Amino acid sequence: MGCRDQCDPSRVMQPLLALVDCNNFYVSCERVFRPDLIGKPVAVLSNNDGCMVARSQEVKDLGIKMGVPVFQVQHLVKQHNIQLFSSNYTLYADMSARVMSILEGFAPSIEIYSIDESFLDLTGVCEKDPIDYGQKIRKAVLQRTGIPVCVGMGPTKTLAKLANYGAKKWKHTDGMLDLSDPVRREKFMKLVPVDEVWGIGSRTTAKLNQLGIKTVWDLATQPSKRIQAQFNVMVARTILELNGIGCMSLEEISPDKQQIVCSRSFSRKLTDFRELSEALSEYCTRAAEKLRHQRSVTGCISVFIRTNLFNPSEPQYQRSASIKLSAATQDTRTIITTANRLLKELFKPNYKYHKCGVQLSHIQPALSFAQNDLFDVAGNSLLEKSDQLMQTFDKINRRFPKSLSMAASGFDKTWIAKAERKTKHYTTDWNELVDVMCV
Amino acid sequence: MLHQFKQVLFPQLKPSKVFIPLFNGKVSAGFPSPADDYVQKTLDLNELLVQKPAATFFVRAQGESMLGAGIHPNDILVVDRSIEPKSGKIVICALNGELTVKRLARVKGKWKLKSENLDYPDIPVHEELELVVWGVVTNVIHPV
Repeated sequence: MGCRDQCDPSRVMQPLLALVDCNNFYVSCERVFRPDLIGKPVAVLSNNDGCMVARSQEVKDLGIKMGVPVFQVQHLVKQHNIQLFSSNYTLYADMSARVMSILEGFAPSIEIYSIDESFLDLTGVCEKDPIDYGQKIRKAVLQRTGIPVCVGMGPTKTLAKLANYGAKKWKHTDGMLDLSDPVRREKFMKLVPVDEVWGIGSRTTAKLNQLGIKTVWDLATQPSKRIQAQFNVMVARTILELNGIGCMSLEEISPDKQQIVCSRSFSRKLTDFRELSEALSEYCTRAAEKLRHQRSVTGCISVFIRTNLFNPSEPQYQRSASIKLSAATQDTRTIITTANRLLKELFKPNYKYHKCGVQLSHIQPALSFAQNDLFDVAGNSLLEKSDQLMQTFDKINRRFPKSLSMAASGFDKTWIAKAERKTKHYTTDWNELVDVMCV
Repeated sequence: MLHQFKQVLFPQLKPSKVFIPLFNGKVSAGFPSPADDYVQKTLDLNELLVQKPAATFFVRAQGESMLGAGIHPNDILVVDRSIEPKSGKIVICALNGELTVKRLARVKGKWKLKSENLDYPDIPVHEELELVVWGVVTNVIHPV
C-alpha cells in the first residue's frame, strides 16, 4: 500500500471538528448596543413583523415557541413586557461577518454554515487541551463582538453539532463540550432524545420511536443492516457519524432557511481583482440556485473578502459589505452584479486573498403569483430561460400592465411598511451610530 | 441598476476613506525616467485608526463629562473591543443599562470609573470588570 506513514497510529491525527453557534444570535446583536435589554425578555420578528424568529432565554422560558405569530402570544407580550424588534438584517449580517472573521483566526479552514453557525476544522490544532481552546474561542468572540457563543467538538460534524446542543443545554459545560472521548460520548448519548441529532427530522423520529429507538445512543448502536432496510442512506450515514466515522467534510455551500452562505478558501492566494470577481460570481450563481431551489427571494446581499487570518505573518486585510435591495430578487444576474459592485468597493490591491464569499439574507418565500409563475418555469434555472422569461415578461406587461407593477411594488411594501420596530444600523451607517453618554 | 437599491451600506470605514496621494519624487543625476519619479501610494485612514476591524466599533459621544480627555459632544469615538482594559484607559462601559464613557482607574486595589470633569463623582466597580467594560476607546474623531 505504501502508506506506512499514514497507517502508523502515532502519525494519524484524530480528526477534530468544532461547531461554533451564536446564542440567540439576533437578540444578542440587539443587546450589544442596548445593554439595558440584558436580562429582559426580547424577541426579534420576521419580515412584516409577523412571527418571532429569535427569542431570548427569558422568552423561551415562558414557553413561547420558535416562529409563533405575535398575535397568538399577545397576552404574554403584554404581561411580561416582552421587547419586540423588527429584523435588522443589515446589523445581523455585519455582526455575523465580524464573528466569522474572528473564528477564521482559530482554524485553518472553516465552513460558514449559516449566519450564526460555523464548522471549524481543528484537527491537529489543539490536541493538548481542546476544552481550553474552545473556551478561548468563546472568550475572544464575546470580548471582541459582544456575542455569546457555544462550542461543540467531536470527530465528525454530526458529533460536533450534538456536542453544541449539550453545551447550550447544560450550564455546567460552561458553553463548551467535547465528545471525542467514547466513554463520555456514550454517557451523553443515553441522555439525549434522538430528535436532537442533526438531520433527524420529526417524521424519521416518529418512525424511530415506533421501533423503540428513543435516545441518540439507541440510534448509534443500531445494526446498519436494519437501518438500511428501513431508512434512507442519510440515516445510515448519520449512524456512522455518531460513531465517530466522518462521512461529511467541510463544505463551502450551506442551505438554511434564513440565509444562504456560499464561500470558499482558495487553493492558491488570489491577488487579482478579476480572479476574485470570477470566484465570487461562481459562488453567487450557486447561492442563487439554492435560493430558487427553495423557492425564495433575497433582500440583502453581503460580500466578504479576507487574507489568511490563520497566518499572522502575512499582511492582513478583511472587509465585508452589505446591500439591502429595494426589491427582493432570485435573479442570478442581479445577485452577481450587486455582489461585484460590493467587491469593487472592498477590494484593495497588493494583498494575498485567501477567501471570499457571498451571503444572501433577508430571505422570504417567493409567494407572489407572478414570481412563482415567471421564475420557476418547469423548475429550470433562470439563466437558462432568461430570453424566454424576458419575452414572457414583456408579453404579460403588454397585456396586463397592472399585474406586473403590482408584483414589484408588493415587495416594496413588505419591506418598508412593516418594519416598525427596527433598531438602527449601528455598524453600517454614520448617521445611526449608537450614542454613548458622557455623564 | 442603481435605482434598484434603496440604500447602499458599508460596514467598514469606507465613507471616511480619504485617498491622499503620496508623491515620492526622486532627484536623479543620470537619465530621469518619468515613470520612476512617482511612486504613488494612497493613505487609508483605516490603517491608522482600525487595527482589528472585527472588533472595532464607532460610537457617538453625548454630554460633557469627558471634556478633559478631549471628548466633545457629537464626537465619534473609535472603540477597539479586543484591547484589554487597563488603568488609565478610556473605556465604554455599560452602567445601569446605558453605554457610558469613563476613564478606568485602579485606586488602592479597586477599580474605579472616573470622569474628566470635577463635577462628576467617581463610580466604584463592584461587578467583574468584564461585565462592565464594553470596549476601549482608541481615538476621537473631532471636527474643528
